[in-house]
Amino acid sequence: MKVLADLHNHSCLSPCASLELSPSLLARLARERGLGLVALTDHNSALNCPAFEEACRREGLAALFGIEANSVEEVHVLCLFGSVAEALDFGASLRGLLAPLPYDPEKLGDQVVVDADEGVLELVDQYLGASLGIGFGELCEDAAARGAIVIPAHVDRPMFSVSSQLGFLPAGPYDAVESLREPPPALTLGLAAVSGSDAHYPEHVCRRPFVAELPDGALGERGEPLLEALREALRAGRVRPSWAA
Amino acid sequence: MRISELVLSLGLEVAQGGYADREISTGYSSDLLSDVMANAKADGVLVTVQAHKNAVAVASLVGLAAIVVCNSRPLPDDMVEAARNEGVAVFRSSETAFEVSGRLWALLHRP
Repeated sequence: MKVLADLHNHSCLSPCASLELSPSLLARLARERGLGLVALTDHNSALNCPAFEEACRREGLAALFGIEANSVEEVHVLCLFGSVAEALDFGASLRGLLAPLPYDPEKLGDQVVVDADEGVLELVDQYLGASLGIGFGELCEDAAARGAIVIPAHVDRPMFSVSSQLGFLPAGPYDAVESLREPPPALTLGLAAVSGSDAHYPEHVCRRPFVAELPDGALGERGEPLLEALREALRAGRVRPSWAA
Repeated sequence: MRISELVLSLGLEVAQGGYADREISTGYSSDLLSDVMANAKADGVLVTVQAHKNAVAVASLVGLAAIVVCNSRPLPDDMVEAARNEGVAVFRSSETAFEVSGRLWALLHRP
């Protein structure tokens, strides 16, 4: 079955994202705009994934739980898990690697952990937009060893991408790459390229989804089986990005 | 040395000239924005090849006086617009970051 998927979305936990974009609003807009599979990928943290899981359950949406990690070279990479617990574990392992940059919420934006009803649980006081003290290669290897789907983010973007920060895509344990436009072959290494909304504001939700061909019934699965069904579709190239639509 | 004096002294192209002219404290050369955030000094000049609006955001955050984009890198319109809104001077040089940094150091700090 063909599923409209979007694996790159932020919530009010990301300092640069709209305070309005709670996990529950993200889930509601995702359903209203036709997504069948959606992931939450805040910068360097998974703390809003529990709320996102509950919100997606209420909306009847299949969800994956991730982090957009920021390597020491300032390359962004999407790391997606089947369960909230795995995403939280990964996030906890990154916490101590965050560069201790001065964080002024007035200037950099609030970082709000909420529940599925938009109740505020915590204001994170360490700047989550910072880079991590771990190289891109090691970061990808670590995420892959934890069972994550690993997708270098917006590989063709002029900032925070493998092309802008490294100049090329080194070999690594990737399942696909994410790109804004059809990427040159050097930026895919033969892997499938998917589009992603990189939503930071409500109006961004579902702006660049992709179509994935998943086995019938895959969306009824949760956790590991759903993650593996998506991984298989990515690896087999059974995806159609937004620029090919 | 004031921001406006950099233009002639370093032979820079003015990409965004809407700024309040003031004394420059020092310079900082880096292409990692988190490093700039952590270590650049207020009223300093950032020497970089990062030509995008996030460089302006970091400059504004730190209180930098100016950004010098090296190697004649093209400047996207949204970067120039962001710099205009923030009052951050943006200049462009055909020289490398090494050359610009060397000349800037000599202008500001040579005993």
